[in-house]
Amino acid sequence: MRPMPLVHKMNELFYEGCAKGELRIRLCTKCKARFHFTSEWCPYCYSQKLSYEKASGRGKVSHFTVCHTSPYPEFDQFTPYILALIELDEGVRMMSNVLDCSTERIRVGLRVKVRFETRGPGRTGPDPKDATKPGEANKFVCLPMFVPL
Amino acid sequence: MGGPRKVSEHVVAIAAAYEMAPGRFPELSTEDLFRKVIKGALSSWDIKPSDIDGLMTHPSGTIAGYDIYFHDRLVTELGLKAKFVETLNLGGATYPAMVNRAANVIRAGRCKAVLCIGAGKFTKLSAGGGEMMARAISDPHLEVPYGTWIPALYGLLASEFMADHDVTYEDIARVAVSERKWALLNPDARMRKDGPISVDDVLRSRMITTPFHYLDCSVPSDGGGAVLVTTAAFAKKLSRQPAYVLGWGEAHLRGRVSEPGRLTDTGAIHSGAEAFKSAGLTPKQIDVAQLYDAFSVTPLVLLENLGFCKPGSAAKFVNSGGIDPGGQLPVNTYGGLLSFGHTGDASGMSLVTAGAFQVMGTAGPNQVDNARRVLIHGYGGIMYDHATLILGRKP
Repeated sequence: MRPMPLVHKMNELFYEGCAKGELRIRLCTKCKARFHFTSEWCPYCYSQKLSYEKASGRGKVSHFTVCHTSPYPEFDQFTPYILALIELDEGVRMMSNVLDCSTERIRVGLRVKVRFETRGPGRTGPDPKDATKPGEANKFVCLPMFVPL
Repeated sequence: MGGPRKVSEHVVAIAAAYEMAPGRFPELSTEDLFRKVIKGALSSWDIKPSDIDGLMTHPSGTIAGYDIYFHDRLVTELGLKAKFVETLNLGGATYPAMVNRAANVIRAGRCKAVLCIGAGKFTKLSAGGGEMMARAISDPHLEVPYGTWIPALYGLLASEFMADHDVTYEDIARVAVSERKWALLNPDARMRKDGPISVDDVLRSRMITTPFHYLDCSVPSDGGGAVLVTTAAFAKKLSRQPAYVLGWGEAHLRGRVSEPGRLTDTGAIHSGAEAFKSAGLTPKQIDVAQLYDAFSVTPLVLLENLGFCKPGSAAKFVNSGGIDPGGQLPVNTYGGLLSFGHTGDASGMSLVTAGAFQVMGTAGPNQVDNARRVLIHGYGGIMYDHATLILGRKP
C-alpha cells in the first residue's frame, strides 16, 4: 500500500471534503488570501480566523516529472507515474498525480480536473508523538488526483 | 568600492583546506570518515590544538538518524577549548554557510580560528529508507502520498526551467559532459576512470525521472573535507596564499515545492546579490564558480540566478563550452557532485575546498590560470536553503 496522509487537525477539513467529492481550499477571513491546508494561520497576514471554500476542481499542470524509476517497492506497480504540481483556477498550488495521461501528452500548461481516489487502509508514517512507532492506520482516505480535461 | 582594502583584524580567510578522495567505504562508519578527514587535514596543516578556538560541523547521523550534539565529540577528540561551536544542517548549503558564519564570528572578535568540518556517506536506500527520505524532504501528508523522492522533486523544478526557456534534454546533459571533462583532470574524482562522456551517452543512459537520465544525477559517494577559517594575520602564517573571504550571502525562501511561486527564481538570486554587494564585485569579475549540482539542471539555474547569464541564456553559454576547461567561466573545476562524487551530508564541502584550492593556487592539474576570485554556491533541499561565498587572492 502506498503511503497515506495522516488526517489531523491541520488537514481534516480538507480530507473530509475529499470524501464528499469536494476539493476544498483555505480562505483567510481577514485578508481573503487562498491557500492549501498547510498551516493553522494565514501565511500572508498571520490571522488565525480561517475558513474554507469549495474549489472548482479545475486547473493546469504547472510542473511535472514522469517517474520511470520506482522510489520504493510500494510504487513499483504504478511506475511510470506522473508527479505534478497543479495550479488550481483559484490560484492555489497543490501536488498530485496526473492519471489517464500518456507520457507524450503531459506538458506544462495541460488543463486538468480533479478525480478523487480512495486509498487504504494503510500506513500513515511514524506516530507524530513517538517516531519509533508506526502511525495510526487510517481506514480509508480520499485523495485528489487529476486527469486531463 | 574600488582600491585594495586594508588588511585588518576584520579580514578573514581560509588558511587551509583538505578534501579526502571520495569512494565507497562500506567498512567505515561516518565517525570513521570524520577521523580520516581529521588525520588527512592534520597531516598537511601546521597546527596544534591551541590554534583552534571554534568548531562547526553537521549532524553526524550516528544516533537516531541525526546527532545534533556531534560537535561535543569532535571538540573532545580534538582537545579543543572552544569559544564557539555549532552543528548546522542546511543540506548542500551547509558548508558555504559555515564559512560565512565562522567568518562573522571571527570578524566580531569572538574567535581566532574556526575549524569547519564535514564527512558523510551517501546511503543507498534500504527497505523503508526511501519512504523515510521522502517524508523528510517533502510534506508527509500533502505530498508524500503521490510518490515524492528527491530526483522527482528536482524534476518538477526542471520542468519549469525547460518550459520557460525552451531548454532541452540535450542542454541539460551538456552540463554533465562538462563536469566529466574536469573530472578527467582530477586523480581524486570518482568518474575519472570511466573516461569522457558525450551528450548522446547521457541521453542513452537509463531514464530516472524526466528530464534526468542516469548520467544527469550525482555519483553516490563517501567522503568529506575540512577548512580552517581564521584571521588574515594567522592565515598568512599558515599559507603562502590564503583564500580571503570577500563576500557572503544567505537566503531561505521556501521548504516545499508545492508552495506558490516560481521554483527556479531561487534564493540564489538574493544570496548572490548580497555576496556581490558585500564583496564590491560583479559577476564579470569572477574567474571560477563552484555551483552545487545534485542534478545537471541546477548549475544552469544558478548561472542565471547568480547573474552570470541572462535569464534564458545559460544553456547556450554551456553549449558553447563556457564552463568547460578553457571556457570563459570554468564551473565545478574538480568534477562536481556529478563526476567527483556526492558525499552525502558532506557534499557541499567539496565545492568550498575546490574553490579554496583554486584561489590558493593548489588545485594541481585542475588549476585554472589566474583564478583570482572564485564564487561558491551551495543549496539545500530542493533549492530551499542558499549560501553564496566569494573567495579571493587579495583581501
